Amino acid sequence: MIILRKFMEEIIMAKPSGYLKADELKTPLASFKKLEVQIGKVIVEEEPWEPMGPTPKPTLTQLRSWSVDRLLKRYRPFYSPFCDRCCLCTYGHCDLTAGKRGACGIDIEDTQGRIILLACTIGASAHAGHARHMLHDLIKRVGPDHPLDLGNDIAVEAPIIRNILGIRPQKLGDLEEVMDYVENQIVQGVAACHTGQEGSYIDFEAKAMHIGLMDFVGMEAADILQITALNFPKGEGDVPLVDIGLGCMSTEKPMILVIGHNVIPSVGVMDYMHEHNLEENLELAGICCTALDITRYNARYKVVGSMARQLTFVRSGIPDVVMVDEQCVRTDILEEAAKVKSAFIATNEKNCLGLKDRTFDLVQAIVDDLVKYATAGEANGALILDGNKAGEVAVRTAMKLFPMRKKFKNVPSEDQVVEYAKLCTECYDCERACPNDSPTTEAVRAAAEGDLTQLETLYEDCVGCGRCNVVCKKGVPVKEMIDSAAQKAIKGDVYKVRVGRGPIKDTEIRNVGAPIVLGEIPGVIAYVGCANYPNGPKEVALMAEEFLKRRYIVVVSGCSAMDIARYKDEEGLTLYEKYPGEFDAGCLVNVGSCVANSHIVGAAIKIANIFARRPLRANFEEIADYVLNRVGACGVAWGAYSQKAASIATGVNMYGIPVIVGPHGSKYRRMYLGRSDKDEDWYVYNARTGDKVYGGPCPEHLIVTAENMDECIVETAKLCLRPSDNFKGRAIKLSHWIDLYRRKYGKDFPDDIHKYIRVEGDIPVTFKEDLVRVLKDRNWKPSEIPDPTLYERFVKVKKVK
Amino acid sequence: MAAKAPTPWQTANYGGSKNASVLVGGKAAAKMMKKKRCLLIVSAHATRELDGKRLIDYAVEIGKAGIPVVATANMIKDLRDAGFKKAVDLQLVDITNRLRDPEWKGLDGKGPYDCVAYLGGIYYVQSQSLSTLKHFAPDILTISLDREYQPNASFSFSNIKKGEWKKELDDLVSELKA
Repeated sequence: MIILRKFMEEIIMAKPSGYLKADELKTPLASFKKLEVQIGKVIVEEEPWEPMGPTPKPTLTQLRSWSVDRLLKRYRPFYSPFCDRCCLCTYGHCDLTAGKRGACGIDIEDTQGRIILLACTIGASAHAGHARHMLHDLIKRVGPDHPLDLGNDIAVEAPIIRNILGIRPQKLGDLEEVMDYVENQIVQGVAACHTGQEGSYIDFEAKAMHIGLMDFVGMEAADILQITALNFPKGEGDVPLVDIGLGCMSTEKPMILVIGHNVIPSVGVMDYMHEHNLEENLELAGICCTALDITRYNARYKVVGSMARQLTFVRSGIPDVVMVDEQCVRTDILEEAAKVKSAFIATNEKNCLGLKDRTFDLVQAIVDDLVKYATAGEANGALILDGNKAGEVAVRTAMKLFPMRKKFKNVPSEDQVVEYAKLCTECYDCERACPNDSPTTEAVRAAAEGDLTQLETLYEDCVGCGRCNVVCKKGVPVKEMIDSAAQKAIKGDVYKVRVGRGPIKDTEIRNVGAPIVLGEIPGVIAYVGCANYPNGPKEVALMAEEFLKRRYIVVVSGCSAMDIARYKDEEGLTLYEKYPGEFDAGCLVNVGSCVANSHIVGAAIKIANIFARRPLRANFEEIADYVLNRVGACGVAWGAYSQKAASIATGVNMYGIPVIVGPHGSKYRRMYLGRSDKDEDWYVYNARTGDKVYGGPCPEHLIVTAENMDECIVETAKLCLRPSDNFKGRAIKLSHWIDLYRRKYGKDFPDDIHKYIRVEGDIPVTFKEDLVRVLKDRNWKPSEIPDPTLYERFVKVKKVK
Repeated sequence: MAAKAPTPWQTANYGGSKNASVLVGGKAAAKMMKKKRCLLIVSAHATRELDGKRLIDYAVEIGKAGIPVVATANMIKDLRDAGFKKAVDLQLVDITNRLRDPEWKGLDGKGPYDCVAYLGGIYYVQSQSLSTLKHFAPDILTISLDREYQPNASFSFSNIKKGEWKKELDDLVSELKA
């Protein structure tokens, strides 16, 4: 056996393809004639770490007993079609209004389910593609045997991968198997969207949930590989604060702006600057998640802001070089860079923007061409699919171009704003094109009279899409006029954001596991997602602070992590300066970029595994059942816009964690809503007795839209309730919910309050007298506090009949 | 020659095959509301003012005329502050979800509604709610009382000016009271 294994290893060393054909072969171990060997894969026996669970590497259908039979029976899909038709095949358009079926037999519910699945596969693919590209690049950088070591305080390095695949990745190369699996599942998911495949909206949704899980596997792989290979922070709470804001960039130095999510080319920039002692000589800052990740690599660099700031910052003319990677990059960014004579580099094969591939050209030649294009204002640039080379080109181009550019701006002066405003015919087209219905017409009308204050006011709420410009028949550049009027605010846009810390430590989980599950820490709230806010970013900060003051654990990531930094209190402090970064009550944890969202779900899984000792390995259903019933966590994606956000939310939901989206989230066209008025939906098994008992409608919904901030705050407190709360924990949670409800809704108690009180001990002392009276009026009867599960097989003691 | 159909207020917000008929006036809306078992949904933008009178104040008058009121977002506070205590608070998706359920017995336990009027909605959010009812509760007549054209409703105003809108809402209230 040992000889055979050594022989196979020799073949693999000599022929990495695993295929060998020879008429005669002599090795130190043996001689062979007419030999043909093909080895699929050498599987090295791993050290035993936990018995294999029931669902290793589940396929599209293997978790239906959770998604279809449990979640979707309680939280039924609620559709708000964006469009009455299906336009996917050549039989169409098919009108599916109000019960009609299309040529293939599909109806409007199935179509919505299909669109949801498609969105989730797009979102999961974006993260998986990102992970795969980084894996490829980082294996080249540090080798496949680089350990996935997250430090002494994190033994469960990949809770999601362990839970879904049943493997324990120990080195970078192990993530190849992880990504192979994810890619396979995504392909199956997309295949189900083809005409004539899946024909049930429930099964489209079950597949979407499965693909959401795959998204989390891919995100976890992406983040742990970049943390370990690039030496990002490994879960430390006391990570540094760095500069964020449009106003914190020096205009006295050459400036490189990076946009997107894949940090590898930006690492090329930082490495080149470091190796050539240029760190003091240039500015490097980012927009969107790449920005957060450059500060995880080196905290001297800066964050411009969320993706909503792309147009404003590029048009400011400050960046000498605009370098884009992947995801959330405006598709017109090349033209925008040309308008301000910035050089432009694309670095990712998913986002080539029609540029010539210069990967194998000489650096000097590329730099010369980029300078030539930029100074001519030509919408041209270079595609460089090598992070190190892109980094060198960016630095050398910025240094060469800086003295020639003199920060060319594309922002009109105040006088020009007034002149532009006079062209306005008050047709309201700009206002009707604005996603937020912002009153642009009145603001432009005031500007024509010389009053720019209304335009300035619009700046904070602007999502930065630029549609107002596009629709104006008179060519009035409304977006630039807003930016011009807001120059004072833009210059004062200087704040501090905490660097993304990555995963939650196992030691932290041990400390907070019990109080979270029992309800004594009233909830873990994650503000995540993009910047398509209804009223500007300030609301995210206000909501976060509401719960920080109440000693919830608040976790943030991505654009939300940036945007909550853009709010200071009366003493001039941002939330990051006021609240510590540990995973504990009253703390504010920035996990990092989009892919670091995996650590938020990872923390919930770790509570089940590390605190409650539930088996983790390939044991999805038990862990998700635990999280749904016991971990009082709630996600808030107040400005979600992308397909990635759709797949993240759907994956979070699959793990039993509810999500609230802002009003624009209603355009995702599907919610998962519970019906609190249907008592029969809310029965659980009491694992202590095996009895089916009423567990109450908690969490009431899995994904739900809130129309405004006040509604979201009240709903967030409500969605942290869980059937497992002990009476002390439930009383704490109810006191927060009732207090918020009174302040925001002006009523004493929610109409359904009696459904959330099981025993008198649940009643918060502060409201006892009034609430007892209300309960009496509603014929309330006490019920038991269950040890809740949705699976009979998890009942610990069967009742003797 | 047929009149040109209005464009949606947010111009790209075309529902598709079935678009709202234009409301000829507030009185016509009130007549439909009186004739049917109607519910009024008052939403997040109801605090907006219309020549010194808030939409909330119109909602109170409609409620006092006998139409049951559901307040979404946190509009229940404004309704109560305005002296109207009979409204029920539910999230917009929650009330929409119940309305599409033919088994739902309504706020008063007397059975489903066959008419729903909307006031003070965020344009694109209201559009989504109307779309749900258009597809999954096609027997419910939906009326948008906001000034912007909502193609997913059964009836909607056609991007009328604020002065005209005020007149129509005043007419609607008078007719309901009559």
